[in-house]
Amino acid sequence: MTMDRRWWRAAGLLATTALVLAACGDDDGDGDTTDSEDGGAADVAGLEGADFVVGSKDFTEQLIVGEIARIALENAGANVTVENLAGTDVVRAALEGGDVDMYWEYTGTGWLNILVQDTPIPGAQEQYDAVAEMDLEENGIRWLDPGSFNNTYAVAAHQSKIDELGLSTLSDLQGLLADNPDEATFCVAAEFTGRPDGLPGMEAHYDIEFPSDNLVTLDEGLIYSVVAEAEDCTLGEVFATDGRIASLDLVVLEDDQQFFPVYNLAMTMREETYEEYPELADLFNPINAALDDETMSDLNARVDEGGEFEDEVAEDFLRSNGFID
Amino acid sequence: MTVTATDPGLHPAELELEREGSALRRLARDPAKVWGYVGIPLIVIVSWIALYIWVTGLELDLIEARILTGEMIREAFVQHIRLSLIATVFIVAIAVPLGMLLTRPYAKPVTPIFIGLANIGQAIPSIGVIFFLALPFLLGIGAQTAIVAIIIYCILPVLRNTMVGIDQVDSALIESARGMGMTKAAVLLQIELPLAVPVVLAGVRTALILAVGTMTLATFINAGGLGDIINQGIVQNRDSILITGAVLTAGLALLIDWLASIAEEIFRPKGL
Repeated sequence: MTMDRRWWRAAGLLATTALVLAACGDDDGDGDTTDSEDGGAADVAGLEGADFVVGSKDFTEQLIVGEIARIALENAGANVTVENLAGTDVVRAALEGGDVDMYWEYTGTGWLNILVQDTPIPGAQEQYDAVAEMDLEENGIRWLDPGSFNNTYAVAAHQSKIDELGLSTLSDLQGLLADNPDEATFCVAAEFTGRPDGLPGMEAHYDIEFPSDNLVTLDEGLIYSVVAEAEDCTLGEVFATDGRIASLDLVVLEDDQQFFPVYNLAMTMREETYEEYPELADLFNPINAALDDETMSDLNARVDEGGEFEDEVAEDFLRSNGFID
Repeated sequence: MTVTATDPGLHPAELELEREGSALRRLARDPAKVWGYVGIPLIVIVSWIALYIWVTGLELDLIEARILTGEMIREAFVQHIRLSLIATVFIVAIAVPLGMLLTRPYAKPVTPIFIGLANIGQAIPSIGVIFFLALPFLLGIGAQTAIVAIIIYCILPVLRNTMVGIDQVDSALIESARGMGMTKAAVLLQIELPLAVPVVLAGVRTALILAVGTMTLATFINAGGLGDIINQGIVQNRDSILITGAVLTAGLALLIDWLASIAEEIFRPKGL
């Protein structure tokens, strides 16, 4: 008899604990440690009380600009949730489907990946104009003004390998693969190997082919430290504005035949959202204009190397540029 | 019931066993058991055939066509099996002798330490373990790191089950064996271990399924495996690729578990 009662009590306690933990859980899982105060530089009164879901991809730069968007919107009085999603296709699908209201996208990615065009448009402004026009017409997605930093795919190697193998441009890779194939090892991430503006396109454009044994497939974040070790792979697929390029002594090979497209950042949203809240342009355009290559790389480095949190550096950036108090 | 020519030299218990016949004949008498053995591989093969039919019927875009090739799938599949089996061999080679040792009275003071370590190995998220071991000053990237990470992760079930299996052997049996003059080592190897086999094998089966499922993480450190396909499906956002990888991995786990259950049947000492 006593055994039964003890059993039920124990089971009841366990069940209650589980329910309480589930109810008290943080929904989006990221601990937002910063609050934004009232009053800002931009006149965005229309955003007061609005609800937005900001999407972001799964790497540092996207997380930072996602936080920048969140803080700027909250500062204007909106209620914001940030959804950190796996990659381009996932977050774009979420935008089109309504799960996400806006996210920062890159012009090159929009043109080649999303609009599935074959060749990039030379020239940053021309590339932006082409993307913005076609995406609005075909998919009803509005692109706000583009920024100036160019976060393109790049191929980097550690300084020591640069000196040892005499590499400076991507055209040099043809010679490297022919004369020294054992050294022509390439650290890549899964997304890069599949995208037309990634490895397959680069190989076609430069008339090279990496044997599959030479490709080292890693999680994106691991690539930088593995390339810096210069042992498992000589070359690595990197993002041009990543702070770790400078801090790990990596050197980017010049894209002398201009394969990689321009990737400028711009806020994207459904046209309906823009029509309802045109103030979003007044909010984001000046912020984007302040993000140049150096600033973005620096913010990235502070998170990746300095260990600061994305929301901290985002708030610091906005504050020191006068976008929030 | 087969009648064997009675050999007056046979002990009655041995006669009984001869009459029972081989394991196969035992099996054939029980249709429910037959289904239990044939069911799993049947389900897996059917699901794989259905997958094949579905994928070949799809119009694959550039990205899907590059990844869903026979060569890539075969390579990932074989590599996955290779990594999982190597890990399992090491797990058994480490955990079973260790488990045997830890049941000895002289090992009592250190037993909690080893159990604790095995517990920690499984409690720490495997993705953390694999990335940690992949650090340049540790094991670096590659197959060896994936194998070690999985060994750490899956050693607990086998270790625990070995110890429990040996502990649950009836002490009366041990006493009578000692009474017959068997040494402690002989008792361990000829009485305790064989009787513990069912429980140990249950632990090995658990470890195998965990290993096959978790080995998908090997893709992040260039160790290959079915994780390559699953991860491509995720980052490229192509359901066809994702489903293919997932169905193959799940099916493989079930098949390997099924093979282990066959092994269990074979290695179970007769008379149990």
